[in-house]
Amino acid sequence: MIATILAAIVLLQVQDSTEVLGPATIYGESKRQELMHLSLGSVEVGRNYIENNFSGTLAGSLSAIPGVQARAIGSGQSKPAIRGLGFNRIAVAVDGIKHEGQQWGDDHGLEIDQFAIDRVEVVKGPGALMYGSDAIGGVLGIYTNYLPLKPFEGRVNLFGRSNNQSAGISARLQGRKEHFYWKLHLTGSDYADYKVPADEIEYYSYRIPLKDGTLRNTAGQEKDASLTLGYVSPSFRNDFKVSDTWAKSGFFANAHGLEVRLSQIDYDASLRDIDLPYQSVNHLTVHNHSHFHGNGFTMDGDLAWQMNHRQERSESVSHGYMPVPPDDLERDFRKHTFTGKLGAKIALSPENLLQAGLDGEFQHNRRGGWGFIIPDFETLSGGVSVTDRHSVSDELNFNAGVRYDHVRTDIHGYTDWFTTPDEGGTPVYKQRSGDISRHFDSFTWSAGAAWSPAGWVLKANLGKSFRVPIPKELGADGVNYHIFRYEKGSPDLRPEESYQADASINWMGRKISFRLDPYLNWFPNYIYLNPGSDYYEGLQMYSYTQAEVFRSGFEAQLSWKPLNFLELEARGEYLYARQMSGAKKGYTLPFCPPWRAAFDLRYTFSEDGFVLAGLRVAGRQDEIVPPEKPTEGWYTINLSAGKSFSVGSVLLKTGIQVENLLNRRYYDHTSYYRLIGVPEPGINASLMLGLEF
Amino acid sequence: MLLCALCACSSSPSKDLVPPSILPVEDRSCPLNCQQFVRGTAIPFCCAFSDNKELGAFNIEVHNNFDHHTHGTEAGECKQDPVKKPVNPWVFNQDYKIPSGETYYEAEFWLDIPEDVDPGEYHFMIRVTDASGWQQLRSVSIRLD
Repeated sequence: MIATILAAIVLLQVQDSTEVLGPATIYGESKRQELMHLSLGSVEVGRNYIENNFSGTLAGSLSAIPGVQARAIGSGQSKPAIRGLGFNRIAVAVDGIKHEGQQWGDDHGLEIDQFAIDRVEVVKGPGALMYGSDAIGGVLGIYTNYLPLKPFEGRVNLFGRSNNQSAGISARLQGRKEHFYWKLHLTGSDYADYKVPADEIEYYSYRIPLKDGTLRNTAGQEKDASLTLGYVSPSFRNDFKVSDTWAKSGFFANAHGLEVRLSQIDYDASLRDIDLPYQSVNHLTVHNHSHFHGNGFTMDGDLAWQMNHRQERSESVSHGYMPVPPDDLERDFRKHTFTGKLGAKIALSPENLLQAGLDGEFQHNRRGGWGFIIPDFETLSGGVSVTDRHSVSDELNFNAGVRYDHVRTDIHGYTDWFTTPDEGGTPVYKQRSGDISRHFDSFTWSAGAAWSPAGWVLKANLGKSFRVPIPKELGADGVNYHIFRYEKGSPDLRPEESYQADASINWMGRKISFRLDPYLNWFPNYIYLNPGSDYYEGLQMYSYTQAEVFRSGFEAQLSWKPLNFLELEARGEYLYARQMSGAKKGYTLPFCPPWRAAFDLRYTFSEDGFVLAGLRVAGRQDEIVPPEKPTEGWYTINLSAGKSFSVGSVLLKTGIQVENLLNRRYYDHTSYYRLIGVPEPGINASLMLGLEF
Repeated sequence: MLLCALCACSSSPSKDLVPPSILPVEDRSCPLNCQQFVRGTAIPFCCAFSDNKELGAFNIEVHNNFDHHTHGTEAGECKQDPVKKPVNPWVFNQDYKIPSGETYYEAEFWLDIPEDVDPGEYHFMIRVTDASGWQQLRSVSIRLD
């Protein structure tokens, strides 16, 4: 019995600290065990996968995973989505701590260094049990907890992309001396304006010519650093990590600002400079993780502080009743997030593994600048959860869990810094947001089973998730200049709830393997930004409302290895979404992804070399809500190749990737730039050189 | 329960995917593209809005085109002055209600031009929404002397 308990503990350990080195498709026992540990559909990829699918952004690099979408917002930023849900509807967690930036913003990306990542686990389904609010659509679990094995080791990566003339370098140095270890990451990159296959675009009735197809002022820079100091012994491990991510990038100059106006700035003078308007963001994280395991149980404790500082600058011009502002600081957000977590896993018997968790989080957000969009707020939340996993045999296990959350949000009122005439013509300082104090309670649960009869892994799960309304949804009252609309919050919104049924069917054969992940999802009260028919000073009013929403869909993956050196892979996804009540009854949800498929032919030579030819196809999207337009279907052809060379004790890795080989002009329905009429980037070649020692 | 929800979708009411239109009143449309006006007088406005389901609201906004930007919905290019900096440009921005339930609505009135504003090229923007939240824009170039 003790042996079984130890085996269970060892397995838990393996999941916590292994660096997954292979590509997404490793078959056999380890794959089966990876699938069996969750009854929800999940996909795990390692660092090599990110390098082989390297895109300018982390979300872009992960978007080849069925069910994961990257919502591009320029060449250096993109927002991740899982099954069409993004923003605050997915939780992005780094080493178990929810990443907290200003993720509500249309053009705010992720402040995470993709080169510092060891593995990523995508949970496609309700993750409330693990992360509380926000994990309603899924979890992007990012892990950087690789344990160094040698006294000194490291790697250096050089990368470049042709489309936006980007160049970058990333270095990782690490070492271990008996119980102590250290890790250092440094990444820097610089990119120019990116190019699209178009001479002009038309947005909001304005015709915008593009010089040489360049999306002016989309250049940027990124600098990241992190240091981890650790201690490990057979029963205890502690990681103390400090990391900082800094990025600055320009906004597409012609579709941002108070009005669509041609500025006096000569944007076409240089491809590399970052003129106004631009954004800069710094994300600092200090995180301590402790792990202890004793006889039949493990315990984990986390303490973390995150400081996210974002600034958006644009030329100071008067607008409506607002006089010329004193400087170019349009928006400034400083958000502090403190997180504490305590978790335990106890092997009650050889069959039963009990997990209990307790966590708390405090957010403190302060705004500045002359443009108002979200108010100051504090949010305090706490949750407690219990889950039991009952293993009938090695092939069959059941799990069930419950969680209770309490969230308190305090929003501070905001009054304009300039006067606006009221109905009688008297100038008044208008109040944009009142003092709002709300508290929310949520009870969530999840239950599922995983069964693996010879070669198969079959999983089913049913769960409830929730999301508390964010301050923007409760208290926004202002012009969203990125998209030329007036957005109005609703202080009485209820917590969004979601019920989801998931299944996962996996077959892992020697030559053929396939996977199908279908799901049904029902929201009684989805929070939706509804485009209305009223105007506010010429800007269309959008207001937050709640509607019943039904969604369903699937992801599928088929892989065939007719010969040892040849592999064919097909992947696809489909999503259906319908609003069942409210002002937009009968419509879909915004940015609903069309069906998508990818076909890859991979030829492997001399153990670690490969050549891959791929076709990506997406269907036409006619399911739209105002102000979207239907988007034509498209396809692109992509090529990639990689090979490693050993030179003494040093490993040299090379990789090349060509995207959109035919330089086709197409629009991605889920892209932020789709609304502005900007097509996706044209042909792009990426080069990656790695040196491991 | 979820399966019932699925059945309900197929019989959802026909949704509105058609934005409203901006039309001439009979065969008149005013102001006309490239039309000239004298400061201190008034601009005649005449326009008809139509929608397949129900109209929402409309807005008129006037801004200067001293920097020579271009609108895609314009009828054509007019005679252009050299680029200049605005000193006291005319800013006009007014929202108008359309009675609920209408699928066709005609608007006709005069807009007074202040005497002391900068002369030159301006854009006269007309925006209209329908009840479903679709929007249509039309831009007309005018000149103030």
